[in-house]
Amino acid sequence: MDLFGSYALLLAFLCCLYAFGGGIAAIITRKPLLIKSARNAGMATCVLVWLGFGSLAYLFLSDNFSMAYVVEHSNRTLPTFFKIPAIWAGQQGSLLFWSFLLSIYVFTALFAYRNKHPELMPYVGVVLAGVQIFFLTLNNFVTSPFQVLGAPAANGALQWISRGDGQGLNPLLQYPEMVIHPPALYSGYTGFAIPFAFALGALLGRYPGEKWIHLTRRWTMIAWAFQGAAILLGAHWAYAVLGWGGYWSWDPVENASLMPWLTGTAFLHSVMMQEKRGMMRVWNVWLVFSTFLLTIFGTTLTRTGIVQSVHAFAQSTIGPWFFSFIALILAVCIAAYWKNRDYLRSDNQLDSMVSRESSFMFNNLILLVACVAILSGTIFPVLSEWLRGTKISVGAPFFNKVNLPIGLFLLFLTGVGPLLAWRKTSIESLRRNFGYPLLVGIAAGIIAVAFGLREFYVTICLILSVFVTLTILQEFYRGARVIAARNGANLLSSAAQLTMRNTRRYGGYIVHFGIVLIFIGVCGAAFNQDKQMEMPVGAQMDIGPYHLSHQDFDSTPETNYTSEKATIAVDRGGKQVIMLYPERRFYPANQESGTMVAIYSTLKEDLYVVYAGRSPDTNQPVIHAYINPLVKWIWLGGAIVVLGTLLALVPNQQPVLAIRGAAEAVVPGMAPTPATIPITRREGHD
Amino acid sequence: MTKFRKLIPVVSLAVAVVFSTGMLQGQSSDRAKTLGSKLICMCNCGQILTACNHVGCTRSAAMLKEMDQRVASGDNDDLIIQSFVQEYGEAVLAEPPAHGFNGIAWAIPIVASILGLGLVVVLIRNWRHTPVPAPAAPGPSISPEVLERARKQADRETDD
Repeated sequence: MDLFGSYALLLAFLCCLYAFGGGIAAIITRKPLLIKSARNAGMATCVLVWLGFGSLAYLFLSDNFSMAYVVEHSNRTLPTFFKIPAIWAGQQGSLLFWSFLLSIYVFTALFAYRNKHPELMPYVGVVLAGVQIFFLTLNNFVTSPFQVLGAPAANGALQWISRGDGQGLNPLLQYPEMVIHPPALYSGYTGFAIPFAFALGALLGRYPGEKWIHLTRRWTMIAWAFQGAAILLGAHWAYAVLGWGGYWSWDPVENASLMPWLTGTAFLHSVMMQEKRGMMRVWNVWLVFSTFLLTIFGTTLTRTGIVQSVHAFAQSTIGPWFFSFIALILAVCIAAYWKNRDYLRSDNQLDSMVSRESSFMFNNLILLVACVAILSGTIFPVLSEWLRGTKISVGAPFFNKVNLPIGLFLLFLTGVGPLLAWRKTSIESLRRNFGYPLLVGIAAGIIAVAFGLREFYVTICLILSVFVTLTILQEFYRGARVIAARNGANLLSSAAQLTMRNTRRYGGYIVHFGIVLIFIGVCGAAFNQDKQMEMPVGAQMDIGPYHLSHQDFDSTPETNYTSEKATIAVDRGGKQVIMLYPERRFYPANQESGTMVAIYSTLKEDLYVVYAGRSPDTNQPVIHAYINPLVKWIWLGGAIVVLGTLLALVPNQQPVLAIRGAAEAVVPGMAPTPATIPITRREGHD
Repeated sequence: MTKFRKLIPVVSLAVAVVFSTGMLQGQSSDRAKTLGSKLICMCNCGQILTACNHVGCTRSAAMLKEMDQRVASGDNDDLIIQSFVQEYGEAVLAEPPAHGFNGIAWAIPIVASILGLGLVVVLIRNWRHTPVPAPAAPGPSISPEVLERARKQADRETDD
């Protein structure tokens, strides 16, 4: 099976070379047969990559310990469920996993548009093949997962050997989230390759109009949703596994996943200006380029270990490959832009500084400043060491200080932007849309301060959260009221109808509401409390409203690990609310330990209990308990963001305006002019 | 013998748990916690000193103990932080100092904000002053009746 996998990847590489070279020849010669064969080679590449990945999965599931990679990341007692994340636990497997997920996107795109957009698709195919060539080069020649174990024989020659068992999977990865988080993250990373390929293809081919934007909108949203979900799953994993009481530590690898999400968010907003007004063409193309470059940069940080990170599971010397690839992409993008910059000239003009366009510009500015701040903070230690030879740290306090005001301004724009009119917004409209929500928001802030809230940023966040929530509710209410008045349905069902009529717009509002919940949850961190003490069986601890009593402590050998587990009874107001079992596991296969945090989670707060080990002085168990307010709101907000995005992907139930047929009937035989096209079907996020 | 073998993982776990964990010195004072939150654990995990409890950390316990001792000895905050910098270098600081070369890290977001804001304002001003292009065609190819119907539908669906 290892040979099968190796050959599949090698064939995939050759097919990909053909798809790339044949695609370029097809673009030059315009021969339909060549176009078709290049496309088919692209699809064959994908199928071969799937076979290669499938054979690696088989090697893991069948405990083939003649393979070096399987030995390093699995063992016989590892549950089958965790043999799945073991496939991408190391560098070789994760890069093949990158290729695998990318090939799913590439195949889907090539297949879905096989008979469409003949002017654009050859360019798209070439760009995608170029990206695949890079990863297949790594998979085949630089860091192959199909290397067999060898040992020198008596005659000095190297002979294949097989080990009885493997070294096991990193304990940090033996959690259900780790089965979902990396695929979601990589689906986000690889998914941005599609809009990148369409943007670069459209630029290279000078594809007319905004078609590429329409074609890639759903792809971008899917990648964006995956990326967002992955970031939150990663945060949840860090929260539940690392046991330090937090969910986001501004670690370089966390930052690497956030940056393309930020530029992707900026793109999803500014793209509306291009769709509606033909503006921001240069900007949008560069946002897509930057997003893709940041995804490669993120993979570089995770896989090369150039920065210190608890998440950088693989450290290696493949950095130069990645940096060369980033430089190559950048050079191609700059050259393509420079050669075709006149193609990107914008048409439209603006009537007022207070308009939807301006709010999108500011939204983009804020998102990009956040991205620049995070990027500079992430790479600054490397720069400092490189330029001055002095190692410095840029930790969470820096990122919090810089990003808090940025985030709050973004929250403000989340409420303001969608309610501003295109081109110009009147004072009356501002008053009507924002007066009441702003007043209620300020009132909420005053009440909170009166009740003792003294955190400046939390107060501002509270005011803005109330403001944004009310603007969103107001939008639903107004629209639902119109529908309810017309068809007599109740407000709730009218709101559902309203949402389904313009899923993109109202799905967007739901996403914004999810973001508000995340902000509220993050604000809870200002009121975190923690307490750590030695707790022999029978000992008690009081933290916040909770009373913890240590009832039992045991060590149990399990199939794959041995656990030390504390049994903690949690009382509140004299009534037992839950039993918690914080534990620590020791994995003999790789001589490593892992934490299992016990969490009692409510909407108000999480009681987060860690068994931190035994005291070196007394050998008694040490329990570290935290009260983390509002954390559940973050996960709830994340789920709502994903839900809203999925909703925005659903086609509208009926066109908001359907007059094309009528227009064509009135002027028979006349080709539709630009004036008729925009009002035939309105699907935009208005 | 078999029983003894069964005990090996349990004993290993106990040993591993005792020797592989940090922050087991009981509760630090609030001041020590505040100061600890300004430092990075030097075990290469890149985490804040008071937050580093990852399995296998060999440094945080010792650093926190040192912090507690210095706080107890009555040193002022600056002196304590400086003593850590002298011992571990600038890398122990959780955020770079705002002066000298490290000041660049703080300046970048500010400069990016100012430049970005300037760019946005200039772009918006330019767009506002761009003349409206004259329509190439004499008018839309939609009949007034259809347009009126569309307007009414839009009014119904968007107005209060």
